[in-house]
Amino acid sequence: MARFVHFTSIRAVMALFTLLLVSLIVFTLMELVPGNCAERYLAFKNTQGSQISIADIKAEEIRLGLDKPFVQRWVTWVGNVFLHGEFGDSCILRVNINQLLGQKFLISLGICLTSLLLAYLIAIPVGIIAATSNNAWLNGSLRFISYLGLAMPNFLLALMIMLFSTVVFGDSLTGLFSKEFRDAPWSYDRVIDFLSRAWLPVFILGWSATAFALQTVRALMLDENGKLYVTAAKARGLYGRRLLWRYPARHALGPIINSLGFDLNRIFNELPIVALILTLTESGALLLEALARSNDQQLAGAIIFLLTASIVSLNFITDIALALIDPRVRRSVMG
Amino acid sequence: MTDAPITTIPPDQSASDQKAKEAYFTASQSQLIWSRYRRNRTAMTAALVLLFLIMLGLFAPFLSPYNPSIAGRDPDYQNGAPQIPMFCDQNGCSWRPFLHTLERTRSMATNFRWVTKVNPDKRRYIHFLVEGWEYRVFDYDINLPGKALDFRTWGLAFNTHLFGADTGGVHIFGTDAGGKDIYSRTLHAIYTSLAVGTLGVLISFVLALVIGGISGYFGGWLDGLIQMITDAVRTIPIIPLFMAIAAFIPDEWSAETRFFFISIIIGFINWPTLARRVRTHLLTERTHEYVLAAQLCGASASHIIRRHLLPSFTSYIIVDLVISFPYIVLSETALSFIGLGLKDPVNSLGVMLQNVTSADVLLNYQWYFIPVIFFMALVLAFVFVGDGLRDAADPYAQRDK
Repeated sequence: MARFVHFTSIRAVMALFTLLLVSLIVFTLMELVPGNCAERYLAFKNTQGSQISIADIKAEEIRLGLDKPFVQRWVTWVGNVFLHGEFGDSCILRVNINQLLGQKFLISLGICLTSLLLAYLIAIPVGIIAATSNNAWLNGSLRFISYLGLAMPNFLLALMIMLFSTVVFGDSLTGLFSKEFRDAPWSYDRVIDFLSRAWLPVFILGWSATAFALQTVRALMLDENGKLYVTAAKARGLYGRRLLWRYPARHALGPIINSLGFDLNRIFNELPIVALILTLTESGALLLEALARSNDQQLAGAIIFLLTASIVSLNFITDIALALIDPRVRRSVMG
Repeated sequence: MTDAPITTIPPDQSASDQKAKEAYFTASQSQLIWSRYRRNRTAMTAALVLLFLIMLGLFAPFLSPYNPSIAGRDPDYQNGAPQIPMFCDQNGCSWRPFLHTLERTRSMATNFRWVTKVNPDKRRYIHFLVEGWEYRVFDYDINLPGKALDFRTWGLAFNTHLFGADTGGVHIFGTDAGGKDIYSRTLHAIYTSLAVGTLGVLISFVLALVIGGISGYFGGWLDGLIQMITDAVRTIPIIPLFMAIAAFIPDEWSAETRFFFISIIIGFINWPTLARRVRTHLLTERTHEYVLAAQLCGASASHIIRRHLLPSFTSYIIVDLVISFPYIVLSETALSFIGLGLKDPVNSLGVMLQNVTSADVLLNYQWYFIPVIFFMALVLAFVFVGDGLRDAADPYAQRDK
């Protein structure tokens, strides 16, 4: 037990360190975006009719602390985030980011995680069939359908489903809530309403993530299938599904669990585009807005940081889970 | 002596058997992979499709009758439906394929708007190997900041095209809102997307070999440090990373420079997955005796990695490259789709996909979707070729399967 606690704490420290490193990268990236918050704010004031001079920009920079050296600003930012969970104010909207994001990030995260689950629910059985079945037809068509999700552009799928449902049901299925629930507090009906719409992005994202998951599962199963312990198990009289589940599938599970965090990353990459087409009001769309349109560094940085933090914590959780499932990992870490 | 023992094998068959066995045991790695690959029908079909698409891309200027940029637009045929050359009409048949003449009229009846009408009695014939717009081959002009990366090559100029109509335009995939030929644009887009992909893959390949090689060969604290950085890079979502960097691209860069820059970025972002695999392979390989032998002979680390370790899993690396290719093409597409990647004078599949995002196009101008079919075929072909190569390169694959 003590060893396990030791292992867990080492992993936790490593995760924290990765998070710090990531926050530095994110912060640097946001610095790369041309312009800064002070200019943006005063540019806004300028459109409202007031005259702006260089001195005004300088004064605003000092007020926002932008004149301080890079490292100091990073430490302040990270300190605020880690100690108080505060991301500061948005450059453009001038609202507190925590207030602005609210539940939006959780909704995005929920959509992404469900899509991930869906992708593996399809990929694991199909991958095992693709790796072991001798039926070329079944094998080929199952793989074709799964890969089609990757090849078919997300926005196209979204558009077609929207159009279809508009014609058939008279409702375009866009947005995350119906009109009457948009600002209502959470209730049973609202959850049902949310689920009746959220399945669409989950389906689209999950399908497109299936291809990569399937390739991984199939490759791992093929690798494991050729190994001697499988032959030995066969020699002992095991066959069929019993053999697959007891030996190669278990070994193939390790690397899959290990890469779940990065799969989440891949899914989140697709989210902004789907969100744009389906007019979802969640953080993916907000991120696209902040980066591509308004150059809102503070907001974009906050969303990216939250996302990377959830990936790092998912990696941490899967590491621990793997150690619980697979004693080899536990031993290898503790020497 | 008519009933010879049945068990003896006819001498010629045993000889050919022997030969086949000998060929199998003496075959090189690539011959073995190819012989296994050839037997996989799905993978072979995918390879043929891929080869066809690559050829379309490589010979795009020759195959396309019009300049894909705004210079080649047909002002008389905007948002025009595909024109399929035919051999027969109401006035009889001809060996040479032809199209009907289009007439543009404007009158009181049309509310004074230009209306295009087909005149089925007048024919325009399709000719092959015609002279048309001039194109240059091997003509590059890269002008990145910093003198070292600039280069300019003057290519060769040609103006022969596979086909063209004697009068008026021939648009077999129709035209877009600006009157640009969608067929010509699609072919050029395939070329661009493949080129971005190839450049991106090559860059990430070199980076992955160097970083993964160092990390795997030396191990220890250096490995730990590099892995931590790799994981941090992998954790950051690619699209925002792209967007932050793309926002950095000045507007005045030429289309070609922008294209080159984006390939570099894509390469710089895609290395971690491959680097990790190289590292894992090296970590298991470096404990073998042949590495120790090379070290005792006094070989340097880079020599051992290059000459002894990397060749031991070349096939895996190639497979990984092919598998990562569609993802690189997809990231270019996604970037261009958002509007931060390549822009209009350069055609990429992402730029083409951008045009089909509205419901208006879906309902009224369905021929805009023809490039999407090519895009899907390209991605699917790559994925299936990757799978096939993986299976063929797997030395443990059962031969009877």
